[in-house]
Amino acid sequence: MNSLLIAAAVGLGLGVFLQKGRFCFVNAFRDLFAYKDSRVTKGVIAATLLTMVFWGTAYQLGYYQGFWTPGWGLTGLLGGFVFGIGMTYAGGCASGTLYRAGEGYLQFWLTLLFMGVGYAVFTVAFPTLQSTYFQPLTFGEGVSLFSVSPVPAGLLALLVAAGVTLVYATVIGRAKTSSDPGERATVASVELSGLLAPVVGLRQFGRGTRSYARGLVRAWRTPVASSKRPWDPRTAALGITAVAVLWFTQVSIVGVTGPEARWTGYLLEQVGVDAGGYEYWGAILFRGEGVGVTVDMLMIGFVIVGAGLAALWSGDFSLRVPKRRRLPNAVVGGLMMGAGSRLAPGCNIGNIYSGIAELSVHSFVAAVGIVAGVYVMTHWIYRDVGCAI
Amino acid sequence: MPSIDDVTDAPEELSDEEADSLLSEADEVQDMMGEVCPYPQVEAQKGLQSLDAGELLVQETDHVPCTENVPRAVGDDATARVWRSDDGTYRIYLRKQ
Repeated sequence: MNSLLIAAAVGLGLGVFLQKGRFCFVNAFRDLFAYKDSRVTKGVIAATLLTMVFWGTAYQLGYYQGFWTPGWGLTGLLGGFVFGIGMTYAGGCASGTLYRAGEGYLQFWLTLLFMGVGYAVFTVAFPTLQSTYFQPLTFGEGVSLFSVSPVPAGLLALLVAAGVTLVYATVIGRAKTSSDPGERATVASVELSGLLAPVVGLRQFGRGTRSYARGLVRAWRTPVASSKRPWDPRTAALGITAVAVLWFTQVSIVGVTGPEARWTGYLLEQVGVDAGGYEYWGAILFRGEGVGVTVDMLMIGFVIVGAGLAALWSGDFSLRVPKRRRLPNAVVGGLMMGAGSRLAPGCNIGNIYSGIAELSVHSFVAAVGIVAGVYVMTHWIYRDVGCAI
Repeated sequence: MPSIDDVTDAPEELSDEEADSLLSEADEVQDMMGEVCPYPQVEAQKGLQSLDAGELLVQETDHVPCTENVPRAVGDDATARVWRSDDGTYRIYLRKQ
């Protein structure tokens, strides 16, 4: 298949689904910590688990183009933490910055610019970082559990997804049984509710899913009006999964900051900088194949276009000029996202979404770092109004 | 029977006339144009702290997620309604409880 067509289809699809579902990783964790608001969190978990099942199956059947598995160690934790702080401060993750840039936010074009500065600074510092940061802090070869597990990849993905669903059901089931009023908290009833929690939770999960499906069916009766309204993040999760499977079978895993770092090198090359002469751009990001436009660079460009079209269609598009007091968020947040995504390496999409969906050991560590960064920054931002925990 | 609102989770919408007449009786209007999450949430919570029960806080915003996140953030402190202009700007009406 024509790689330009695939890049366009996947990029436009991602842009539309991210914009319509307000699929924001900062929102997913920040509002969970601050308000116990889990709507977007559910969407992120659903997208990751569904993609994991489909990617695992595709890998098992041989329909895939390769994994992205950097060496694992403390780099994921530290870089992820910097990235998590940066994305919470900026108000948008790597993917969120793209779709908001498409919606007309000049602030996020500025964030993108300073992410670019972060990539460039990292590239210049790379030879030093290699010996002082990456070598001492990387503990092992990167690996995907899909490729080392004796269990077939598709089955392994299903088992992990079922396990996570069960844990999730237990958590919501426990919250429900413990909040039931009028129940005497005897030792027996506590033990009983402990045992019943997964059952209660699974039932609630089933009810929620059924009511979501009914809502989808109803939304289909008025397709034009429904398409203009905001979509449930779970709908976005289904769409993102579909285009991610296409991308995985034809190109690679889905990444955002890697292609952005390549764009930075490419654009600097166009204005006369010898980007290919830098080890990080030349040898690593462009793999010694010369600085040019790669298919994943085109794909993330189409994400911005897709988000713009979706926003225009919904009446959500406008050129939004940031307030001066928000400029530090774009500058500092962008720099921290750019540098953090290289130090980890990988952003929220590379590590939380794609990395976990391909069961990469490095990404488990990096995801912990990113979520920890969001947690710390959320408490700082909400220091005046109090945080739920 | 669940409605489409259970899926999209958007607050009740105001008509153009209601939105305009309510705006004229607002006790506080916050200009959140160009601002993104979570700052409008934080400002809404701060603004409500200084109002009495029954008073109205209006936020003018051009950030779509705020129309859902701000009502969620204030929770039981206020009832929320939203007005959409259809050209990318919104007003969030928060009546303190």
